[in-house]
Amino acid sequence: MTENSSPEADRPRRGGAAVVELRGIRKSYGALEVLHGVDLTVAPGEHVVIFGPSGSGKSTLLRTINLLEEPNAGSVRVLGVEYGPGLGGKQKRGSALVLRRHVGMVFQQFNLFPHLTALDNISRPLRSVKGVSRSEADDRAALALQRVGLLNWAAHYPAQLSGGQSQRVAIARALSLDPEVMLFDEPTSALDPELVGEVLAVMRLLAESGMTMVIVTHELNFAREIGDFNVFMDEGVIVESGPRGFFDSCANPRTKQFLAAVL
Amino acid sequence: MTLAYLNWSLAWDAREQFLHGLLRAVEVSLLAIALSVLVGILLALARMGKAPLSWVAATYVNIFRGLPMLVTVLWVYFGVALILGLNFTVFQAGVISLTLLYSAFISEIYRSALEAVPRGQREAGLALGMHPVRVFARIVLPQATKIAIPNIGSMLIGMIKDTSILTVIGMVEVTRVAQDIDTETYQSFVAYTAAAGVYILAAFGVDFLFRAVERSLSTPPQGRTANALHSRRRRRVEQVVRTVGGAQLEAP
Repeated sequence: MTENSSPEADRPRRGGAAVVELRGIRKSYGALEVLHGVDLTVAPGEHVVIFGPSGSGKSTLLRTINLLEEPNAGSVRVLGVEYGPGLGGKQKRGSALVLRRHVGMVFQQFNLFPHLTALDNISRPLRSVKGVSRSEADDRAALALQRVGLLNWAAHYPAQLSGGQSQRVAIARALSLDPEVMLFDEPTSALDPELVGEVLAVMRLLAESGMTMVIVTHELNFAREIGDFNVFMDEGVIVESGPRGFFDSCANPRTKQFLAAVL
Repeated sequence: MTLAYLNWSLAWDAREQFLHGLLRAVEVSLLAIALSVLVGILLALARMGKAPLSWVAATYVNIFRGLPMLVTVLWVYFGVALILGLNFTVFQAGVISLTLLYSAFISEIYRSALEAVPRGQREAGLALGMHPVRVFARIVLPQATKIAIPNIGSMLIGMIKDTSILTVIGMVEVTRVAQDIDTETYQSFVAYTAAAGVYILAAFGVDFLFRAVERSLSTPPQGRTANALHSRRRRRVEQVVRTVGGAQLEAP
């Protein structure tokens, strides 16, 4: 169904080799296909925003980038290495473990480890992944917490943190591993409205620092502000996509209908 | 002999034997519960895994959940020992029997506990680039264990009671001590009431112990033991926070 993919998604943008390149991604659960051959390119330093109605496949698409969802067909290339089932031929695939060490992810439900303090939520994975000593991991974890303004909360457990604080710790945890690209899966959808701002502020700072970001979100005002490239998905395909100004210039009636209902 | 004469001092005089019997029962049970948890976790993983291995695990669970302790003890001590040409000590036969039976129950406890840990926990660990074995050992298993702890406590109480069956292969534990008193004095009521009291005390003891463990596994940890265990880590966190940011920890 490549005829459904918009041409913009294929177009190389900004300089340099793509950080993420998805080609012809298909994903099925049993007989139900939820992604019908999706293409997406993310350039270095680019902020890609994906939005659309529930069940449109946007979260599933995001999760194929770090292989939390294994696509049934298509190519997942990250930093030039093929990790997906590929486009035929006998390409050698990279390991998911290596892929995930280049890609950070932030979840809707934070997914902090409830049995560990905020500091240990960061330092424990650091020790496992980077193999650094406990004291070095602690120092780096403290710096990561400082970056999101939560150093003083280092000894708190997730149950003692607000939703906004939890999500900021989750962002710090992902950043502490020096990822080349950050994936955000509806990072503010589970938050009380008054706590959304503090998480978006952290994401804004991260975007300004030049981090490559792919963001699935319903916060369309934030998307409008931050999105270098905007993707509207519905029913498992990219309906329409475009650069800055997309929200005012989109042409597809389905996109317009969705934006009219949401904005 | 009528009920009129109950010589309760017999039970008190035998306190040392009862205590030895209880220690023996607790020894067997503690070793067996440790092994059962280990085997139970492996069985639960096998059962949640792929086809041939999951069938083996399911068959094991259904066989040993269905066997009575008495049959198992006799089977291990006399039957298996004969076939393998080994002489198990009474202690070994007890530990093996209890482990065979209770690992089947504990695998079911762990299966539901592992399934109760939200999927997002594993996904977060994997997304951070942790090796799947580390994700299991550091993230999923500790949370599942916290869920499983009360049920494991019940299993340990069950085990201590089941050690009474080890009298049939000659272990001198609580029931055997009571039997000996009964045989010598015909004070059946006193002897077995005393034995019952010892088992009940043991059950209270286990309950107390597991409540303390449960409290210390709650987050934030509660109870004196837990706070003592965590105080070093907390001081370390305070120090890190001071050196990195010159900041002070918020009160919890």
